[in-house]
Amino acid sequence: MSAAATTYWRIAGLTYLQYTSKAAGVLRAALKEPLRTKTMAKEKIFFKRLEWSPKMIGQPVGPLKVEVTSLK
Amino acid sequence: MLVARGIFQLAARRGVHTTRILASTAPAAADASSGDNLILNFSLPAASIYRNKPVASVVIPGLAGEYGVTKNHSPVIAELKAGVVQIVHETGQAPEKFFVSGGFALTHANSVTDIAVVEAAKLEDIDVEEVPKIYAEAMKDYNAAAEGSKEKVEAQIEVEVAKSLAGALGVALT
Repeated sequence: MSAAATTYWRIAGLTYLQYTSKAAGVLRAALKEPLRTKTMAKEKIFFKRLEWSPKMIGQPVGPLKVEVTSLK
Repeated sequence: MLVARGIFQLAARRGVHTTRILASTAPAAADASSGDNLILNFSLPAASIYRNKPVASVVIPGLAGEYGVTKNHSPVIAELKAGVVQIVHETGQAPEKFFVSGGFALTHANSVTDIAVVEAAKLEDIDVEEVPKIYAEAMKDYNAAAEGSKEKVEAQIEVEVAKSLAGALGVALT
């Protein structure tokens, strides 16, 4: 059986970012308490998105935060 | 004729290799000419653990194996595996150890070494009791998952990192 030309996670469809984020998650799960809750918060990634339209002039902008789940 | 010479000189200056120009304008700290130290930049995505720190040597856990870097090491770009980065600040001292989950390490020709990782923790901040539990849980998921599935790969990542953690901490796994 010949060696795979690429990594096992790439073959299964994971990207490098997903692989590396998963590995970091394992390390965070193994930390001691005060540091652990602090770093677990890092796993949540949000982005803010706004599609501008002229109706928005003078209006307060509504909730924008969207959680990124593609790296989980 | 004098004009032609001026043009050639201008062209020659523009043609000088970029890295040489950058090196001449680099900050004094990056010369690393003080003693036998290399300059270390060790960073996480949102914070910097060490920035422009002169250290004696670093042992880096590369994917192909651990390797040590001292001053004047040849340039390397290495992907990292989950393992321990050992920093010796001054020759003869015990190394300062950080467990890293993965990332990249670049050593440049001017003895500046950049280590960029996603998560790093000192060994004393890792809970020794948790590691065998994580390993057991991950092995269970690995064995239960279908061959070639995403769950199996995710479990495999957990198993590998848990194994590295156990190795770094000296914990026995069943």
